[in-house]
Amino acid sequence: MSALTVFFYEGKHFFNNPFKIIAITLFIIAGIYGLNNGSSLYNKQKTAIEKIQDKSETEKQKYLKRYEEGKLADENRPWIDMSRPFWAIWYTPTYHLKSPSPAMVYSIGQAEQYGFYKRITFWASPYDSDMAEEIANPERLQNGTLDFAFVLLFLSPLLLLILLYNIKSVEAELGFLPLIEVQTASKNGWLLARFSFYVVFSILAIIALMVYGAILNGVFQTAPIAFAQMLLYSLLYLTFWSVLYFFILKYGKSILGNTLKMVGLWLLFAFVVPAAVHQSISIYKPVILMTDFIEVRDKQQDLYANDSLFQQKLVDLFPEITNSPVYQDSTKIDLARNYSASALINELKKESIQPIEEESREKNRLIKYTYWFNPLTFFQNKLNSISRTHYQDYQTYRDEIQALIDKRTSVLVKELWSDTKVDKEKYLEYNEVLSKTN
Amino acid sequence: MWKIFKNEWLYYRRTPWLLGISFGFVLVLFLSIAMGNYQTHKQALRHQAAKEDLRKKWESIDAMNPHSAAHYGTYVFKPTNLLSSLDEGVNSVTGNVLRVEGHVQNEIVHSEASQMQAVSRFGKLKSSLLLQYIVPILLIFLAFSSISNEKRNGRLKLLILQGAKPISLTFAKTLSIWFYGIGLLALTILAYSFFNLNDLNAEVFGRITFFFLSYSLYYFIITALTVFFATLWLNPTIALTSMLGIWIIWTIFLPNILMSSVEKWHELPSRNEFKAAMKEDRSKGLDGHNPSDERKKELEKKVLKEYGVDSLSQLPINFDGLVMQKDEEYGNKVWDKHFGALRKVFSEQKKSYQWGGFINPFISLQNASMGFAGNDNLHHQAFLLQVESYRRDFIKMLNDQHAYGGSKTGEWGWKADNEFFRSVPEFEYHPIALSTVFPRYGTDLLVLAIWSILVSGLIALGTRKMQIL
Repeated sequence: MSALTVFFYEGKHFFNNPFKIIAITLFIIAGIYGLNNGSSLYNKQKTAIEKIQDKSETEKQKYLKRYEEGKLADENRPWIDMSRPFWAIWYTPTYHLKSPSPAMVYSIGQAEQYGFYKRITFWASPYDSDMAEEIANPERLQNGTLDFAFVLLFLSPLLLLILLYNIKSVEAELGFLPLIEVQTASKNGWLLARFSFYVVFSILAIIALMVYGAILNGVFQTAPIAFAQMLLYSLLYLTFWSVLYFFILKYGKSILGNTLKMVGLWLLFAFVVPAAVHQSISIYKPVILMTDFIEVRDKQQDLYANDSLFQQKLVDLFPEITNSPVYQDSTKIDLARNYSASALINELKKESIQPIEEESREKNRLIKYTYWFNPLTFFQNKLNSISRTHYQDYQTYRDEIQALIDKRTSVLVKELWSDTKVDKEKYLEYNEVLSKTN
Repeated sequence: MWKIFKNEWLYYRRTPWLLGISFGFVLVLFLSIAMGNYQTHKQALRHQAAKEDLRKKWESIDAMNPHSAAHYGTYVFKPTNLLSSLDEGVNSVTGNVLRVEGHVQNEIVHSEASQMQAVSRFGKLKSSLLLQYIVPILLIFLAFSSISNEKRNGRLKLLILQGAKPISLTFAKTLSIWFYGIGLLALTILAYSFFNLNDLNAEVFGRITFFFLSYSLYYFIITALTVFFATLWLNPTIALTSMLGIWIIWTIFLPNILMSSVEKWHELPSRNEFKAAMKEDRSKGLDGHNPSDERKKELEKKVLKEYGVDSLSQLPINFDGLVMQKDEEYGNKVWDKHFGALRKVFSEQKKSYQWGGFINPFISLQNASMGFAGNDNLHHQAFLLQVESYRRDFIKMLNDQHAYGGSKTGEWGWKADNEFFRSVPEFEYHPIALSTVFPRYGTDLLVLAIWSILVSGLIALGTRKMQIL
């Protein structure tokens, strides 16, 4: 009996086994459900982003109209004058958005732990409370969402287990192995052919699910590379488990023993190792309570209380203001100085964020060191990275927010001290310049 | 029955693989408790240091305008719970830092999960992870091998011929395996108690007792169901596959699917909608009428009449403080409306999810476990409510000082002294008592009890249908 015959004959075994059919059906249902969850979150985020863009545009048009009508001062609040840079920039609606990747259909990753839209103001920071996750039930967040990555990482090893656990061990227990050795050229070849049938079947199921996901979110058109990368890592992951299971089956002699070993390995890699790593990191680097960030509040008070320190810091940060017309004008200098405060506070915040981000980087470094014995975490983060829902993607998003805040405060100071008069064109220029990170 | 029970335990003692697994498991269990305790302790120290530092800063305010102090505000850090080392619940996904300030009820931010890349989908290596996921698997294999071995070796026939009643046989086996699970559970609790001997009190003891009861019931369900399948099916492979399938569906599939579905049935608003609705109510009035300017005018009229004067400058108090407090009280109504609606949705989600226990007892176990450990969403919401209540008192003290502390209307430069700031109390968290929240977990315990009765019936049914001869 050739290996190919054994391979195809295994198909008959499979279709006669209702439990294996139920297992694969459940797996596919879970996959479809997971892909729909990913797609639903993608669409939800896209809709929210569109709403914010509309809101921002409406706001912009409202203020543009005021420039067109020449109504730059607010009747009820006389201190507001939109011909001055401070108020013009104040009323320049700028949102920075993290547009979801269509590949989010595969892995929701850490998308639910962070905000994906942020209004940039003088006083904003990438660690503001509106950067927290969307409102969600924490018990659901703790359970995690059943997405394709979950199906692949946790359920595909279980599917393989159910499909493979009794291969060879049934024959061993019934004493058929010598007979099989006589009928086939090689016992290992026979095992490999049967084994390959289920692995190929699982791979096909995964590919079919991935194609379904791609159709749902238009991944082929918008992120074909992400699809290829996702496929590559999915195959690598299945290969990892296939190799482990093959050796268990090759050297195992009983159904119970093999099943126990396979389940044991799954529990070890899916639960125990990642959980132990998580626990160890939490001991080595406990939860950050953002105390450095909180200290900005006090440093801010100190800065406000000391005029000369305030002036010195401002000149250190923007030396060019000393040559500006306002710097020489005693009637305007106080107001310009007060309005420039956000630039200094922004610097204080940036300083305070550094140790916090360094601690997070250290935690991430530690997690990476464990990849060689913690494959699930490695694959999880790879998939998150491909779908742009990894921690680093949100760190990049935070960095972009910071760059926009830097730009806003810097433009403010320069315009304030140059005593710029803001008109419609200037306002449009602010809208353009302040929304770009570069 | 007792003889069979004793005989089973003798078999466990003589089975090297079981002894090996049990030994290894107990080691990991002790390790998880020790690590969990150390982490909780270390986190508590960090929390305490941050809290003391903040208080020191508050008490060192020399002189400040009370309204500036309301903006300066303070922060509350979510404290660690003693039972976190058993089951951490939602703590790693909820935030840890809550800003307390005037004009706004902030949300808790900076969760542990947001501070690093993904590590473990099922949380840290806490006892709950081992007790919820690993022990049941062990029990399934034990129960399966216990019955199928007897069938395969023909010992079952022999035992029946010797006079053993099939029902006594299956129940004795179920109980002996269940006791193995109980033993592991008891070891966990004992080890936990040993590490936390100084902190054990009636409250903790009560919580641990129900924690123990919930797991005991779940272990009975798992064991009895496996025995049922092993007795029912002639083919042992089918019996094992069925039970593993059920375990996968209960533990991996359904909690995820049900929780996601529940969130769709009782939908939460998006943050953007939530904030916009509050902003709208805050400025225009809860019912779209009575905007803030009108409210201010009404108050002015009332206060001037009360003091019998014609203008704000004649008032012996600072009207600005009254306006601030009145506005704060109005804001509180707005927060109560919106955050209250949010809590209502959470509560409905929880109730619906709890009913899911009737199709999946693992859900009841998970709920009861984190609930009795004091780390579920219910306890989290209670913490947030306490902080909000503190915020209201805190801001009222500052506004009252602004109004009645000695300044006149418009004197924004007036400052309260250090003595006043020192008199403002610090936030103290009072964990909710088990007796208060116990009824909320009644459904979970009831479901587990019903399942236990049901599976006992199934064993009887399976035994009756078991082909022995």
